[in-house]
Amino acid sequence: MPRSTKKGPYVDEKLYRKVEKLTQMDRREPIKTWARNCTIVPEFVGHTFLVHNGKIFNNVFVTEDMVGHKLGEFSITRMFRGHTTGTKAQRARGM
Amino acid sequence: MPRIAGTDIPDNKPVRISLRYIYGIGPSHSDKILKAADIDGQTRANKLTEDQLAQIANIIDGGYIVEGALRRAIGQNIARLRDIRCYRGDRHRRGLPVHGQRTKTNARTRKGRKKTVAGKKGVKGMK
Repeated sequence: MPRSTKKGPYVDEKLYRKVEKLTQMDRREPIKTWARNCTIVPEFVGHTFLVHNGKIFNNVFVTEDMVGHKLGEFSITRMFRGHTTGTKAQRARGM
Repeated sequence: MPRIAGTDIPDNKPVRISLRYIYGIGPSHSDKILKAADIDGQTRANKLTEDQLAQIANIIDGGYIVEGALRRAIGQNIARLRDIRCYRGDRHRRGLPVHGQRTKTNARTRKGRKKTVAGKKGVKGMK
């Protein structure tokens, strides 16, 4: 179920203030953040965020199309390196 | 056979059924359109007068996105998700389920036919 429109989008307060501050100073350096659940609002467009994925910070440059999504959607938390090829025996022999 | 909304040719079923052959019109839209046009849904599609057909076409034109336009809109929405490199876009790109379903088993609609992996637990006839 989506969030009630009455409340408006959830935006991390601290992060929002930081973005405003940077915009005022006309600076665009990356903002490190753990707030994956923060909705991207139009004010964020053009800024770069370093979004934590539980291990590292992923670079996310916010474009207009991303508005309305959450920051976490752009910093994947899973790593899939692909399946191994060949049988167990083949692998044991050393490929 | 009547033609409504481009190339669609609903046949001699009741109109409320045959309208659903148009991509983007289901049971609910079909009934709403017929109500707006003031046509009895039980009349066969081939018994409709020219006027009634024109009326239906008019209603669909002004307020419903169907067929090509709808397909394009859906395609664009997916393309947008892909472009912004978000999680949902990634799932579309990889052909995996998008709404958080399990993929350990099932998910065959998205993943396509089973690809059997040799040597995996449960696969017989190996040694």
